Amino acid sequence: MAKLGVAILIVILLMGIFAPVLATHNPTTQGYTDENGASYPPVGMDYNTTVAEDGERVSHTVYGTSDHILGTNNLGQDIYSRFLYGARTSLLVGVSGSLLAALIGVPIGLTAGYFGGRVDDGLMRVADVMLAFPALVLALALMGSLGRGTIGIPDPIVLAGFADGMPERMTFPGMVAVVVALVTWVWFARVARGEAIAIRNEAYVKAARSVGASNRTILLRHVLPNSLTPIIVLGTIQVAAIIILESALSFLGFSGTTLSWGFEIQNGQDRLRTQWWVATIPGIGIVLSVVGINLLGDWLRDALDPNIEGEGGGGAG
Amino acid sequence: MSLGKFLARRLLQGIFVIWGVVTIMFALRALSPGDPVNLIAGEVPDQATRDQIRQDLGLDQPLYVQYADYLGDLLTGSLGYSYNQRRAVSDIVAQHFAATVELALAATIIAIIIAIPLGVVSATRRNEPADYGATLGSLVGISTPNFWLGLMLILLLAEQIGLFPTSGRGVAFHEAMITLATTGYVGDVLLWLSYIILPAVTLGTYFTALITRLTRSGMIDELGKPYVTATRAKGLPETLVRYKHVLRNTLIPIVTVLGLQLGTLMGGAVITEEVFNWPGLGQTFIGALRNGDWPVVQGIVLFIAIAFVVINIFVDALYARLDPQVVDE
Repeated sequence: MAKLGVAILIVILLMGIFAPVLATHNPTTQGYTDENGASYPPVGMDYNTTVAEDGERVSHTVYGTSDHILGTNNLGQDIYSRFLYGARTSLLVGVSGSLLAALIGVPIGLTAGYFGGRVDDGLMRVADVMLAFPALVLALALMGSLGRGTIGIPDPIVLAGFADGMPERMTFPGMVAVVVALVTWVWFARVARGEAIAIRNEAYVKAARSVGASNRTILLRHVLPNSLTPIIVLGTIQVAAIIILESALSFLGFSGTTLSWGFEIQNGQDRLRTQWWVATIPGIGIVLSVVGINLLGDWLRDALDPNIEGEGGGGAG
Repeated sequence: MSLGKFLARRLLQGIFVIWGVVTIMFALRALSPGDPVNLIAGEVPDQATRDQIRQDLGLDQPLYVQYADYLGDLLTGSLGYSYNQRRAVSDIVAQHFAATVELALAATIIAIIIAIPLGVVSATRRNEPADYGATLGSLVGISTPNFWLGLMLILLLAEQIGLFPTSGRGVAFHEAMITLATTGYVGDVLLWLSYIILPAVTLGTYFTALITRLTRSGMIDELGKPYVTATRAKGLPETLVRYKHVLRNTLIPIVTVLGLQLGTLMGGAVITEEVFNWPGLGQTFIGALRNGDWPVVQGIVLFIAIAFVVINIFVDALYARLDPQVVDE
């Protein structure tokens, strides 16, 4: 099963990385519609809509075209190309958010666990406060307060000339990555703390202390390397949780980019009855990525470390 | 430590948690862009009116004074006033919380009814088709975002087949019950059921998957313990062993996990309500956040935090009764 998870992830990763090359259309270009302005369904499918003709609404059948294999959305944008760029956003936010959360949570957790006492009590109380917030609710409130800042990153593949006509910059929803890290760091702190408590009384730590190693050295050279395994497992699972969180924020309109699976699902919500594919296709992308990461995370957990909290990532959205 | 002392400490911690939540939310409001005066007065050009409103809201005061005033108001039971609904926040919370509680309870009940038998079957028939099915199902259930699942259910069961209404609440549960009790008319109850099923299934899926996983792994652990062999050796029927002894010991820790997952349930409710146009706290929260109506945002988050703390103290007390070692830790 883990192999299946890795296979899914590699496919999605490649789709995200090489989105500009694999895309058939610029994902932000609008107006890919038939002569009546109706969006295309996926290739091989058709649907009925009405168009204005001589001041009257006339029934009209739209057929899919091989130009747009997954059809186009309400703005006439190519869904296949947007799917690829959506993979990019999800994975970028998932990985960077999880890393950032680890960067915040691990030092705090290790310090608290290693020193114990008041520092530790303080951390545990802060952790209690964080747990009382539903992740999505806190993330939404943070986005509402801090704004939807984004970072434009030049796209190396496009700049190198491998994909003409694709966006030269990709919009990285930086604030979303920061916000999901602020919401999830406490899990890293808890795991790191548990590890530090277990390690601080190990013989090698006592030995290091007896030869005069400073606390800082012990933390960096002994405690951190020996607590990495569960942190890596948690980091993997959190990527899944963050992908769902990001898609939920985008779905609700609290993101900075429109090239996101969640945003695309929002696009399709109003036209669910006639243009079902707009909301359906990006959701499959989310489910497949999260299933892939959870399979990998479960396997890592079983293979490396059985004692870790949490049961798969997800749920928040 | 006595149970009373244990609970007193938990209560103290709970008060600290609520203070923490209140403080973070106050800070977020202070950091947020947008001028509440615009929300209340519209784009009123008249500077005197604007100043008057600012003064009435206490927004002309330094932040620490505003913070102290806010805490003082909360202690006297006032959650403040909505910027654009011209109502007390407590009224708004009171109006919407029943719908959310209904939805959350329905989702929890669905999850428990499906997940526990599924987990038991999965654990007792390990590596058989039923186990694979349950494991795969719970993996997909944990990995599916609520809002997309909700839309797919609407698409398939409401739009295509027309089995359920696409959105809304229909009738409140207590109203349906009153109708049933006074007139004997069951139509309202069925109406209530037809509206709540899809959102409840949507919200309950993650928990169904989670509890199935927890029950399965917990049962497998328990089944390997010596007391199971002992009860079997005593000649107790296998069903009694499984359902009375093993399942009981499996479920106790699951209750604490569910208490801590209450936040996830509320987060899920926020987005489920938005998808199904369910008039609960979650939908109100998102609407208020979009409008910059921070008193309502803060009031709803505070309400959720209090519910979280109270329910977890209750769960702890229950757990302490079932397993007295907890109190000593």
